[in-house]
Amino acid sequence: MSEHKPRKSIEKKMPKAFGWMAEYQDENNLLAAARKVRDSGYTKTDAFTPFPVHGIDEALGIKPTILPFIVLCAGFTGLATALLMQWWTNGFDYKYIISGKPFGITPASIPIAFELTVLFSAFTAFLGMIALNSLPKFSNPVFTNPRFDRATNDRFFLFVEATDKYYNRESVKELLGGTHPDSLDEVLEDTTPSTLPQPIILALLLLVVAGLIPGMIILNMRAGFSTAPRFHVFFDMDFQPKKKAQQQTTIFVDGRTMRPQVAGTIARGQLEEQDPFYLGYDPSKLTMSNDSPSVLFVSLQTPADGKPPIAVPPATKDEKTGGQPPATPVVPVLPWIVKLPIEANEDNMKVGKLKFETYCSACHGYGGYGDGLVHKRADALAQGYWLPPTSLHIDRVSKQPVGQIFNTITKGQGKMASYASSLTPKERWSIVLYVRALQRSRNANIDDVPVESRFLLDEDPKPVDPKPESTNSVEVTSK
Amino acid sequence: MATIASNFNLREIDNTDDIPGRRAPLITGNQSYASVTDIVCRVAEDPQPMLWYILFGFSSLTAVMFLSLIGFLILKGVGIWGNMNPVFWAWPIVNFVFWVGIAHAGTLISAILFLFRQNWRTSINRAAEAMTIFAVICAGIYPGIHVGRAWLAFWLLPYPSLNLWMWPQFRSPLLWDVFAVGTYASVSLVFWYMGMIPDLATYRDRSKSPLRRMIYGLLCLGWTGSSRHWLRYEKAYTLLAAFAAPLVLSVHTVVSFDFAVSQVAGWHTTIFPPYFVAGAIFSGFAMVVTLMVPARSIYKLENLITLRHLDNMNKIILATGSLVGLAYATEFFMAWYSQNQYEYFTFFNRAFGPYWWAYWTMVTCNVISPQLFWFKKLRTSTFWMVVICIFVNIGMWFERFVITVTSLSRDFLPSSWGYFRPTMFDGLMFFGSFGVFLTLFLLFCRYLPTIAMSEVKGVMSAVSHAAHSKDGTHGQNH
Repeated sequence: MSEHKPRKSIEKKMPKAFGWMAEYQDENNLLAAARKVRDSGYTKTDAFTPFPVHGIDEALGIKPTILPFIVLCAGFTGLATALLMQWWTNGFDYKYIISGKPFGITPASIPIAFELTVLFSAFTAFLGMIALNSLPKFSNPVFTNPRFDRATNDRFFLFVEATDKYYNRESVKELLGGTHPDSLDEVLEDTTPSTLPQPIILALLLLVVAGLIPGMIILNMRAGFSTAPRFHVFFDMDFQPKKKAQQQTTIFVDGRTMRPQVAGTIARGQLEEQDPFYLGYDPSKLTMSNDSPSVLFVSLQTPADGKPPIAVPPATKDEKTGGQPPATPVVPVLPWIVKLPIEANEDNMKVGKLKFETYCSACHGYGGYGDGLVHKRADALAQGYWLPPTSLHIDRVSKQPVGQIFNTITKGQGKMASYASSLTPKERWSIVLYVRALQRSRNANIDDVPVESRFLLDEDPKPVDPKPESTNSVEVTSK
Repeated sequence: MATIASNFNLREIDNTDDIPGRRAPLITGNQSYASVTDIVCRVAEDPQPMLWYILFGFSSLTAVMFLSLIGFLILKGVGIWGNMNPVFWAWPIVNFVFWVGIAHAGTLISAILFLFRQNWRTSINRAAEAMTIFAVICAGIYPGIHVGRAWLAFWLLPYPSLNLWMWPQFRSPLLWDVFAVGTYASVSLVFWYMGMIPDLATYRDRSKSPLRRMIYGLLCLGWTGSSRHWLRYEKAYTLLAAFAAPLVLSVHTVVSFDFAVSQVAGWHTTIFPPYFVAGAIFSGFAMVVTLMVPARSIYKLENLITLRHLDNMNKIILATGSLVGLAYATEFFMAWYSQNQYEYFTFFNRAFGPYWWAYWTMVTCNVISPQLFWFKKLRTSTFWMVVICIFVNIGMWFERFVITVTSLSRDFLPSSWGYFRPTMFDGLMFFGSFGVFLTLFLLFCRYLPTIAMSEVKGVMSAVSHAAHSKDGTHGQNH
């Protein structure tokens, strides 16, 4: 970077000489001189011209460059990168199905393969040229000659380096002087200081440090944890002008966002809900009943009159009937159906077993004792608020009619959530069937086992295991 | 070596004449190497004319308006545009294709004409390449802001994301477009910069102020003009030209795939790639002529960018304009010949439907106006060539409008047909992109070498080797 400094001649010590430089007005003179120098055996030579002079490589004896081979390799690298990238991303790592298009390398890979081949080759051609020419090189002894400024304008220079093995200061001067140069100068060492002035270094350092700050902040934010809400530069769709369930609104007089059913309309699936099969009780008997939970139930079926809807389970928040405040959960006394609406056959039992093990056993356990994995884990963690799942074999449960068990699965009970969205009514009834079988297996005596199967009990002396595999075989055969 | 002013007389040598047995001179005015350096460097060294300041003030204000509108768009969303069902690819995509098309002239002149040894390219390639870069910048802005959430436009790139856990869809032409335009922009930039290195060294060596000398010294990477460097430089330049030539053709081909690979009637045709490439060269050359004519007159470059150069470019405009006209005719022929009623309807609808005015503007500007270049009087008149080229650019914008909007506004489902109406922001943002383009071009003229001096000198040298010119002119035209 020293060529832009004012060129003062410093007389402190004799500057080192790098060689002789001759100046010519015409490229033909240069070529003639170059041939002469070459024929004299000098190899550490160079010419400096404002444009590429044709024939100079031959006149100076410059060897061809290996750049095309480097570029060829880069081109193949680009091609391979493009094909591998497309195969890996869309054919292997993230198989995205679109319009039935095939995965992997297809004709659709050609455009990007072409573009990346060109991209890699072009950048290699440019960067390879820069690198082979050892550029950027801002400090160069040739710049010490003020006449050299015309090398990029209209003059042609021939340079014989002092490092040449045949170099002799006087003989080279004589040789170049015989080629009729416009000028002949010795190239001297650049004596201007080669380091940057300190203020510039300081300013550059400051710039680099300042430039790192935003990146560091972002990295710190990405890697670290924070309890503060997310910082939004762009809001994306995080905040939308819409209302969610249970929110208040000023649009409607009653202040509710969720709208009650319009009078005289029937919602999808509502007709089915009048069927005992979907309810677990018989609604036709219910309307004739006068007890408070039944009245409450009927009120839920009628359109709202501006009062907030009462959440299920109905008996827990009983305002309309002025019933008992729910200190303990009150199970509504409804006309439960006592007879299973599905057939108690092996197919249904299998479905019930499968679904019970999928959905219920996590809490209630495979045997229904309320010792599922979730319970065991909560127990092990000694979580104080954990309410153990109900055992299906206590009296309160085993005395329940099938309709009530169905209702519990459908609507949920206490901490248990509703499974209506996960299980079809038929599957729920199948689970009821399976639960019934479980309950009966826990209270079975020898009379329940068919005579011809009793020998199986003798073969297995172990007590009845809560694992479903052992109980189930007994259940199914007994039914 | 006389001064330029006394030599400058257009009537003295008319290099647009082709006399058998004599090469038409490439540059006029009895130039020497030093005088070429002088003419080109004066553009940046002399104080800029008043017109430069007026134009720069106007264009930079327009560019600032454009950037502010982009900020407003990011705040408000793309709803400020007229894009509405069923036309979601409205002006932003039209403007994108328009600017990408203009970007094709520069690399075509640099690469394809270089490979064909068309020496007349040396006077115009630098400025045309600069236009390529600036037009690609304008083009790249539109898809970037059209994606809606512009701050996530980097999702288009295949980078291993920790948030998305997915990759882009490489079987889509829209992603090919990202790669094609991205490669084109970066390769053109490298090509342009590499071509400038020797000329930046000339600027460095003529600089009087140390600061200027340092900046140009840094930019030219310490170029000395060493013959060993020149050898590798020329090899690299030839290689770059060889890569850039098919790249130019591929870019607009891929842009046309955005349309042609879809199922929309009027888009789904195999004629699109050549038709788009011809249109791109057509509009690119028109833009080069439009800017070169005033630039050569303001900066007194008439001896380097001669009427012969402009005449040659106008001939290319005539040829590509006729190709575009042939493509329009072929589309209609196929619509009839295929006996496909949807295809037929689409093209009938283009010419006689609700957008008939756009269609006939396009035909008038693109098919009829370049045919005037059959007349040499118009081809060599700077005034008329600018008028015709402006018409060509208007026509090419309308071509993209017609293709994009007419096909989308009436697709397969008549119940969803609509009529596109732009908003004020569509217009202002299109106008604003010209501000960006012109601002960059004016800055280029002021600070960077507008003509490839070393290449012009190289061509002059070829003449002095072969046969020293007797008529006081340099260079030759093949």
